[in-house]
Amino acid sequence: MSLPTTFFGWIQLLIEKYGPLFLNGAGFTMLIAISGTVLGFLLGLLVAIVRTIPVSKKDNIFKRILMKLVNIILNVYIEVFRGTPMIVQAMVIFYGSMMYLGLRMPALGAAIFIISINTGAYMAEIIRGGIISVDKGQKEAAHAIGMTHWQSMVHVVLPQAVRNIMPSIGNEFVVNIKDSSVLNVISVSELFFVGKSAAGTYARYFEAFAIIAAIYFVLTFTTTRLLRLLEKKMDGGKHYTICGSQSAADATITLEKGENVPHD
Amino acid sequence: MTDMNILQVQNLKKDFGSHQVLKDITFSVNRGDVISIIGASGSGKSTLLRCINFLEDPTAGKILYHGKDAEQLNRAEYHSKVGMVFQSFNLFSNMSALDNCIIGQTLVLKRSKQEAKKKAMEYLEKVGMTPYMNARPGQLSGGQKQRVAIARALAMDPEILLFDEPTSALDPEMVGEVLSVMRDLAEGGLTMLVVTHEMGFARDVSNRVIFMDQGVIAEDAPPAEIFTNPKQQRTREFLSRILDK
Ligand SMILES: Nc1ncnc2c1ncn2[C@@H]1O[C@H](COP(=O)(O)OP(=O)(O)OP(=O)(O)O)[C@@H](O)[C@H]1O
Ligand SMILES: [Mg+2]
Repeated sequence: MSLPTTFFGWIQLLIEKYGPLFLNGAGFTMLIAISGTVLGFLLGLLVAIVRTIPVSKKDNIFKRILMKLVNIILNVYIEVFRGTPMIVQAMVIFYGSMMYLGLRMPALGAAIFIISINTGAYMAEIIRGGIISVDKGQKEAAHAIGMTHWQSMVHVVLPQAVRNIMPSIGNEFVVNIKDSSVLNVISVSELFFVGKSAAGTYARYFEAFAIIAAIYFVLTFTTTRLLRLLEKKMDGGKHYTICGSQSAADATITLEKGENVPHD
Repeated sequence: MTDMNILQVQNLKKDFGSHQVLKDITFSVNRGDVISIIGASGSGKSTLLRCINFLEDPTAGKILYHGKDAEQLNRAEYHSKVGMVFQSFNLFSNMSALDNCIIGQTLVLKRSKQEAKKKAMEYLEKVGMTPYMNARPGQLSGGQKQRVAIARALAMDPEILLFDEPTSALDPEMVGEVLSVMRDLAEGGLTMLVVTHEMGFARDVSNRVIFMDQGVIAEDAPPAEIFTNPKQQRTREFLSRILDK
């Protein structure tokens, strides 16, 4: 069998030979990106919640010192993981845990672990920003009817904070789809890694990575659209119903959102 | 006699840094009192309400609830007994009007969902907001939001409601609907402490008017006396300024 001589010829050959491998890589990339975003979100949520626990002068000294200490530790975590490249974090964690802890992490597990704590550091700041940006009257109203700090967080502040930062969370997800490619350094067979192996066989880097680029683009483009749809859904229906009469259903009026509500 | 007494504010002081906002406030509220608090902007009216409700920590002094130091009481219980209505409504914007009136009952008073809903509907009806119970706050006008906020406070079965300029953020044509709800509540015997610039309300509805000036209570008297024959020069000046407008 003679080798192709044109660009499209090479593309065709690579797809025929490595198509399933590429799809597999795309699957791993999505798996890593989704788990990293979800776990990173949960981690960031936890960190942000701890960092926004109110401490007043009236609390006992032990609690105040403990909170201060915890806050310092969390700050260090956020600064370090935001201030160094994930590719370096991957090397340090993967080889560090192997050499000094005798821990041989499976590549996929290590990849998800690394991307999660990396995302967690960004999410912590995003979520804290979301919490702070919720109008403080909301919290005061919650306290005024007797809710505790935790009740007001769970039922009033966090739902609003998370809704407000949905675009940033989606953005983190898209970033993770792309940036998970750096995890090829720990030999997890995500999309970039399989692209590299495929390219290497025939030394056709341009053609192989043109295919990989196209796949990445399809992944991020679809994800972006889906997230936008989800956001629209979260905003609730476009309409709401005014119950004109409890007995006669035809007495209800449906209003468009944004339309001025008549008042009596 | 003491049973009649709901709140006693004793020598309350509040500083923000070096700024003494409340200097030495002492007064008491009896069951059924409708007290209007009037005074110039910055005289400390909001701060007083916020201290009573512990949204601010008082610098000194005491608040007694039925003779007991309110700071020692269970916060949730105290808050459910001493309700608050805000100038800017502060309805929970992630919930429907109905859920706004339910959530405190189920979380704080541990009422069952059905019982809470029944009570919420009752008070939404009372403020004329039943048709809008499924609407989100963002879909309501200012006057409607404030009426829901009042229903939310009432659903907690408070012994006293604090109002901080409940009509000041409203367009003029909506002031009336909220004032008429408040008038009904006063006639129904609810104990109310109302910071207001609505002199008509102060004069016609309340049984006592407190005039605050620069962090102190300058005068505390029935409206007939305050409005026709104030003892203090500064009360007279304030009233002539505000009534001239
Ligand atoms: N959180 C705060 N930090 C610092 N200063 C404050 C704070 N809250 C209020 N103040 C100051 O306390 C003073 C009294 O404020 P307050 O809001 O109680 O006045 P008010 O009588 O309610 O006025 P208005 O009629 O404008 O609502 C003002 O000078 C204000 O600047
Ligand atoms: Mg005020």
